[in-house]
Amino acid sequence: MKQVSIPSGASLTELYRKWVGDYPKFFKMDTLSKLGFLLTEMLVRDEPDRFTFREDRAVLVFSREGCVANDRHYAESMKDFPSPALFVYTLPNIVSGEISIRNKWGGESSDYVLASYDEARIWDLVRQAFQDKCTQSALVAWIDCTSDNEWVTNAWLVDKTEML
Amino acid sequence: MTKVYCIGCGLVTPVGNAPSEVLSAVRAGKSAFRLYDGWPEPYYASLLDREGFEGPSFFDHIALQAARTAVQEAGIDASGARVGLVLSTIKGNIEKIDTDDVSLAAAAETLAQGLGVKTKPVVVSNACISGLAALLQGVRMIRSGAYDHIIVVGAEVQSRFIVTGFQSLKALSLNPCKPFDADRDGLNVGEAAAAMVLSAHPVPFDPHPVSENYFSGRDPKNQFPETSTEPALQGDPKNQFSETSTEPALQGDPKNQFPETSTKPALQGDPKNQFPETSTKPAPVIPSEASVSPWEIVDGAVRNDANHISGPSRTGEGSYNALRYVLEGVSAEELAFVNVHGTATRYNDQMEAIALNRAGLQEVPVNALKGIFGHTMGAAGILESIVSMKACDAGVVLPTQGFSQMGVEPAVNVSAQERKTDKKAFVKLLSGFGGVNGALLFRKGGAR
Amino acid sequence: MENLINELKLKVIDALNLDGMTPEDIDDNAPLFGDEGLGLDSIDVLELIVLLEKNYGIRLASPAQGKEVFKSIAVMADYIAKNRTK
Repeated sequence: MKQVSIPSGASLTELYRKWVGDYPKFFKMDTLSKLGFLLTEMLVRDEPDRFTFREDRAVLVFSREGCVANDRHYAESMKDFPSPALFVYTLPNIVSGEISIRNKWGGESSDYVLASYDEARIWDLVRQAFQDKCTQSALVAWIDCTSDNEWVTNAWLVDKTEML
Repeated sequence: MTKVYCIGCGLVTPVGNAPSEVLSAVRAGKSAFRLYDGWPEPYYASLLDREGFEGPSFFDHIALQAARTAVQEAGIDASGARVGLVLSTIKGNIEKIDTDDVSLAAAAETLAQGLGVKTKPVVVSNACISGLAALLQGVRMIRSGAYDHIIVVGAEVQSRFIVTGFQSLKALSLNPCKPFDADRDGLNVGEAAAAMVLSAHPVPFDPHPVSENYFSGRDPKNQFPETSTEPALQGDPKNQFSETSTEPALQGDPKNQFPETSTKPALQGDPKNQFPETSTKPAPVIPSEASVSPWEIVDGAVRNDANHISGPSRTGEGSYNALRYVLEGVSAEELAFVNVHGTATRYNDQMEAIALNRAGLQEVPVNALKGIFGHTMGAAGILESIVSMKACDAGVVLPTQGFSQMGVEPAVNVSAQERKTDKKAFVKLLSGFGGVNGALLFRKGGAR
Repeated sequence: MENLINELKLKVIDALNLDGMTPEDIDDNAPLFGDEGLGLDSIDVLELIVLLEKNYGIRLASPAQGKEVFKSIAVMADYIAKNRTK
């Protein structure tokens, strides 16, 4: 099972330029989405047939804080001119949407909030997600982003066969 | 595959808390909408009455109230080792972002403590499909074999944060929303809490068959402190309902309207009457028709459009794929109706019409409840599923308040007025930001 | 007008997070939306509506009106010059 992470405070723009470079929508994303986007790139960039629509891969994202870092930005903007571009990222699941859009993954995308980082719990929930008969593999990520330069991440690409 | 049943429901809505009361409001087209002062723009919404509420969090309060009602109806011990909790909400306590821990994890912990749930809760936060995704999560937890019962709770309160955000997206209508209508011009936000107890056991579950032990270690007074003492949440019906909307034709004999709920007062009445403190034995649970043959959540699916974070797919891709998954081997003939998302935004309703047509459901009656409750976000999937079950039990396809002229192409079979049905299955459909779509198939136990 | 156009380009680049772009990269008359030009989307339209209100005191009634006003930087600058209240 492949696993990657991004150290807290790393320059996400640098990582983007190193791994991607041709997806300007990246700069519109909140930090949580940027992290999810980059973690996924690191895991699947060498896969064959990338960007072909598929329904058999789930995106399962876990955290404690959800999108609280961006929520604070929106709450600030709301005091004078509420920003629609910030508001759309005030949902914890936009990160899984961004990953799905980039990779054309039309399978399940789900976002879970847990009280703390708990790998056993994460794998229980991932195993349950594989009850969907369509799902054969999953991008699984713990992305706990408390501000624009503080986070804890871990991401895995798992196959159904590894979960049985 | 383990069958999963709904054995208890709880509601807190601006049009009432008892399911029978809520159903009768929907049938009569009564809502609690009104125009509220905003920040600074006004907004049209269906909000709960907070008058008389004193406490740290109104969100925590309504979530707990709905959950307790469902647990009480199910007759389970929430503190059991094989009882789990799933919370569905989008923004939880967000209005306190400047001062408090507004994480959804903290809200779930508070709810678990209030209910006495001992296992670790999980929050499913999938934008507007959260409630549906949470029910599916509950189904999966039971099928995993690790749980007997899952309490699934959805709740949302409105705040400056959410309202100004939707205003910035130009998504709100200043009039009552019109799902699927040609003149629809946006959604209305709403507040509600809704809870279901899902179970692998189809009948009311009695964890302590020896009645003397029923309350062992638990004080009945502490079990249900809130459900019986809060008239404030229901408000004055006179203020909530516009006088013009009372339709005598729909308010006939309650026995005919609610054949099941009205014959089991014990499940809705004052908890003190159910479990008289003077008695050492709890009142016997009288199995109603609904509980002998409860609703089953057959299966569900969540699919992503993989298209845009805030705009629905022009081809209804995710919604169609979710429908296709849950309807495998199911005939459209079997369905009483599809209860759609129907937010009354131009793009959502159009997208759903395309998905329904692609799935071959163009003849099946379709209804939307946002014209009564508004968009209750994290509560919507659970609230609208409960109301749909109760409607099916009453033998009706509910009307779509706000709809008058077909406004989607290709057309779907929108239920403008109430219709009769003897079918015992329906699909609940939702879609949301992040490109997520969900479908759940409900079927009355033993109907097939 | 020349100054307003340049100022507007800087504000648009900032508001829409158009990374690495400079005012010189944006043609005054190129379409802002659709596949040509900047390829902006529906949320960008809404953000430009906020930009107009915040910086120039102009309130647009609807995103539909925005589609007209936001045809190109030149059209936008012209609209601002005629309607600004600050």
